[in-house]
Amino acid sequence: MTDHEMKGPALVRDDDEITSHLRAIVAPPVDAIYWNGLEQRIVARLGRGREEGSWWALSSRAYQFGLMAAGLTLIVAASVFLRERALERRMAYESVIGTPATTPQQVFAREGLVPDRQATLRAVTDH
Amino acid sequence: MTAVALPWAPIRHRTVVTERPADERDLVLAAQRGESEAFSELVRRHQRRAYAVARAIVLNHEDAEDAVQEGFLHAYKAIARFLPDQAFGAWLHRIVANAALDVTRRRKVRDADELPETVASPFRDPAEGGELRRRLKDALDTLPERQRAVIVLHDVEGYKHAEIGKMLDIPEGTARSDLHYARSHLRQVLGAVRSGL
Repeated sequence: MTDHEMKGPALVRDDDEITSHLRAIVAPPVDAIYWNGLEQRIVARLGRGREEGSWWALSSRAYQFGLMAAGLTLIVAASVFLRERALERRMAYESVIGTPATTPQQVFAREGLVPDRQATLRAVTDH
Repeated sequence: MTAVALPWAPIRHRTVVTERPADERDLVLAAQRGESEAFSELVRRHQRRAYAVARAIVLNHEDAEDAVQEGFLHAYKAIARFLPDQAFGAWLHRIVANAALDVTRRRKVRDADELPETVASPFRDPAEGGELRRRLKDALDTLPERQRAVIVLHDVEGYKHAEIGKMLDIPEGTARSDLHYARSHLRQVLGAVRSGL
């Protein structure tokens, strides 16, 4: 069904009149100089966009590099922290239950021997 | 013959608003390879139609030009994602329509914050002159932006409801009803002017 059949000739005439005014209201510039100028402005803006794009690409690469470096630093720091913590725990454990069994005996033997030897030496030299 | 070998200069000042698929695909492929002259040719071919799409959505010439520039910039940045077998024009018009809607939103915010500017534009608005035309322009400006876009794209630019729906990201039925309401409103204005109101 055409517009004429649906709306009737009067409405079609009205709509045609409205359309012709709308066409005039939103009419694009007709001057070729305007369009050449617009084209140049668009192309210039694309050029600026390219520069911004390359800057962003560089910045993006730097960002990725920084992110990787930060990640590595974090991993190293975490492993150092964990080793420190494990050492602290061991030291705390040792301070509570004492030094390992072999060490006191040696220390005891050394501590015990020195006075005995000195006593023996003193007894020999005294007599 | 490849896109780069095309003779650019002779077609530079032609008024081309219709799609030429074979050439267009080559141009798009060349633009995707980063050949800026190919994209410039796409600008040359499509800027008038892009302007018409933008002008249907925004209220004035200056905003339409802003929207066209932004639309082409967005298209340029997204060209790598465009599928060359699709219609470049339809894709571009959707981008320009979105840019125009953004410009309209920014304009609303700006107008709410600032006093109206009275700087004269070098471009003479063709709507000047004639009571009926002035009243119709006022009525067009006060229509909801989507209804305004639909009636201009349909009645002035000749797009179909489905095409308008895709461009404005609305269902085809919504485009039809928007057109109906916009026409009714403008008919009322026409009737009022005729009856001397």
